Amino acid sequence: MAAAVPDYREIDRQVMRTLEWPGRAYWIWVGSLFLIVVWGALCWTRQIWLGLGVTGLRQPNMWAVYITNFVFWVGIAHSGTLISAILYLFRSRWRTAVYRLAETMTAFAVLTAGLFPLIHLGRVWFFYWLLPYPNQRWLQPDFRSPLVWDAFAVSTYLTVSILFLFMGLIPDVATARDESTGWRRVFYNIVALGWQGSEEQWRHFAGAYLLLAGLATPLVISVHSVVSWDFAMAQLPGWHSTIFAPYFVAGAIFSGCALVLTLIIPVRRMLELEELITPWHIDNLARIVLFTSLIVTYSYITESFMVWYAKDPFETTTFHMRYFGHYGYLFWIMVLCNCIIPLALFSPRVRHNMKVLWVLSLFVNVGMWLERFVIIAGSLASNFVPSQWGFFVPSVTEISITAASFAWFLMLFSLFTRFLPIVSMTELKEGLRWLRLALRKESAEAA
Amino acid sequence: MAAVGAAQGVGGGGMSESVQVTGVFASEEECIHAIQALRRGGFHRPRVFAPIPSEKILETLELPKSPIRLCVLLGGITGVISGFALTIGTAWTWPHVAGGKPMVSLPPYIIIAFELMILFGALAGVGGFLFFNRFPRLESLRGYSPRFSDDRFGVLVTCASEQSTRAELLLKDAGAEEVERETA
Repeated sequence: MAAAVPDYREIDRQVMRTLEWPGRAYWIWVGSLFLIVVWGALCWTRQIWLGLGVTGLRQPNMWAVYITNFVFWVGIAHSGTLISAILYLFRSRWRTAVYRLAETMTAFAVLTAGLFPLIHLGRVWFFYWLLPYPNQRWLQPDFRSPLVWDAFAVSTYLTVSILFLFMGLIPDVATARDESTGWRRVFYNIVALGWQGSEEQWRHFAGAYLLLAGLATPLVISVHSVVSWDFAMAQLPGWHSTIFAPYFVAGAIFSGCALVLTLIIPVRRMLELEELITPWHIDNLARIVLFTSLIVTYSYITESFMVWYAKDPFETTTFHMRYFGHYGYLFWIMVLCNCIIPLALFSPRVRHNMKVLWVLSLFVNVGMWLERFVIIAGSLASNFVPSQWGFFVPSVTEISITAASFAWFLMLFSLFTRFLPIVSMTELKEGLRWLRLALRKESAEAA
Repeated sequence: MAAVGAAQGVGGGGMSESVQVTGVFASEEECIHAIQALRRGGFHRPRVFAPIPSEKILETLELPKSPIRLCVLLGGITGVISGFALTIGTAWTWPHVAGGKPMVSLPPYIIIAFELMILFGALAGVGGFLFFNRFPRLESLRGYSPRFSDDRFGVLVTCASEQSTRAELLLKDAGAEEVERETA
């Protein structure tokens, strides 16, 4: 907890400082990310022109890196909704300083995820076949297919995430408007929609925000459950499991909170927000990472136990291959990153050491990407018919597009941090009352 | 919008001129005291500007709950009906028997209905928020000052000119840093 309590003016001053025109290093960083995005776009254009043959996708591995990226990015989004909506409903105080960053991450992660089903299509110009529209070609979407559920779930999630982010931004942007001049004032004036903080505006805001949080909470659970059913509804050994929905949701929050740590540690330092985003906030995030890591570890054990107990020869073979087969080393790296390394978070010293925590969060990011790859490509590689077995090797196209997706996400995120308030001034100010009470109680207890 | 800052205060009969008195406060508590003092003094519900969402202020003003709840409910119900109508309607209009399964399979359709319930509910909620606030709003609300989005609370009361001195005194007694008066 912060030792000294800033006042309203100080909070505004610190957040408004992040909106000053950025320096040359920032533009070099954004420019470099843009170049990677352009390279990825060129690779995708080439793929559209020549077909999916330029990727490493071959029978039986017709789902691999692109779908891994899709699941990874959708998963990343979940922690944002957890922090912004679920913890809001629980009136959790520590979320105020970090929720905007997490929510921004959510919106851009879903935006990135949404690209991969398109990139994965051989004939992307027919993407609209996924959408439910009346037609006369007998090609209507089959609503029994998890892929159609996915189209509904992910597009709903994208819409609600953006609405939630936008709603929370309105009062802060109004503050920015009142403190800006020139083109920024015009820009913030448009985004603020005319917000002036009257009692009527706050009344409707409070009602709408609470209900949006209430709607986002079941949505976030449903979205990754639906994503998990893309796999679990299939008969394939390694996919066909009832544990997938809770297992995927826990994994999503685990990976998302890790990415929040990856982003927030450098952001608080570069934007000099250490007084607002304190070690206490980071510590709470690290605890969520630890808790969800334990759930994920438990899921891995349960999944393996179910295979052992059921004694189905196909499942047993798939899992034997998963542990000791062609991709076995990826599985063990995943276990190291997701189950072993996060145990260090039991130590408060690790949770309070920003450099160690940042490196640890990178390991979790790598581990969770590998988890999806092991499930998707690893299970497809050894299906029911041994004569069809084959192993996936990513091509330069897939590696480039994957790198470009990270660059795309970071570029959008970087632009947001310098042009819109990355910390909610309104909620921090609102939390001061509680912070003052807590400090008063603490000093009374000490006395 | 409710009739906030109504044009007449206590004893404001006759043809007297309407005056707008604004008190600027440094804290939420003082702002609440001012609202209570004005209400006790018989003034109509004042307009309040605040840099934070304050449940206490809304309670003191005795504002009813936002009708946005109803928008979200209606949006959600519309979403559920649309989800089932889309899925069942599609199955009936373009019959396509797969694996001998029934034409209408309700369990998977629940997922579509659920997602559309959330989508329509959220869109209706945000739509209601924009509608009830008359957003986007081009003109500024009367009495607004940029300080009120920063660190100050504003309480604005509109009353008859002969009541304005009493309103000023009440605001000052409640701890107003500044009190401004202008013709409404």
